[in-house]
Amino acid sequence: MPLYRCVTPKGALTHEQRTEVAKAFTDVHCGLSGAPRKFVQVMFLERNGGSEITDSHGNGMMAYDTPYFIAGGNRGGRPPELKARILETLLETFCEITSVSSLEVSGCISEAPASWTMEGGKVLPEPGQESEEWYG
Amino acid sequence: MSWFECTVQEGCVDERFRPGFESALETICVDILGPEAGPVEVSWVVIKRGFGFRAGKPSTTSLVRGRIPDGCDAQTRAQLLRAIGDAWCRLTGAREHELVVSARDQSWAG
Repeated sequence: MPLYRCVTPKGALTHEQRTEVAKAFTDVHCGLSGAPRKFVQVMFLERNGGSEITDSHGNGMMAYDTPYFIAGGNRGGRPPELKARILETLLETFCEITSVSSLEVSGCISEAPASWTMEGGKVLPEPGQESEEWYG
Repeated sequence: MSWFECTVQEGCVDERFRPGFESALETICVDILGPEAGPVEVSWVVIKRGFGFRAGKPSTTSLVRGRIPDGCDAQTRAQLLRAIGDAWCRLTGAREHELVVSARDQSWAG
């Protein structure tokens, strides 16, 4: 965590664009949250005509109605304004890099307690409870 | 019942280990969480080369993301996550820093 999955139409983005988006999303998340870069994952899923993506809450699916969709998954516990700011900046950044209209992109960030995830063999700390080692 | 989605980077994990891991996953869930955690439904997502990144660089990291029955205490959930991680690394040969495991409550609406 965090995990950002970018749903796009098939062949919509070049490798260079994907790389640029991945780096930019990492910058955005770390710049706003203070999290280490090593945890930020960005994946691209190509689909034509899809309208939902797996999500680990509710009935297990998240619906969307735009050709491009950003599905985020973060640790919970941060202020709602920060969560909204991260998503807003990600969407702006995505449009800037890809030249996709903001009308064609939407997104959502799901959150869950950090202790529900293990990474690198260790259960994640809640925001604000990170050790120095975690940042290393 | 439990659901897990395993996401792997193309070329990083051999497909042949999947049945063994799925079997191990069900055993782990039922042993640790109880019979209500079974059966375990598993789906797989393969991220194409050039489509997965970590820290802004090409990724070799796999994700095992699950939804389990509500009511799991923190200690039991940590035990579950570690057991799944151990099984994954033992079966695939992956290193623990190349794996993220999560298990959310089924009713979670976060």
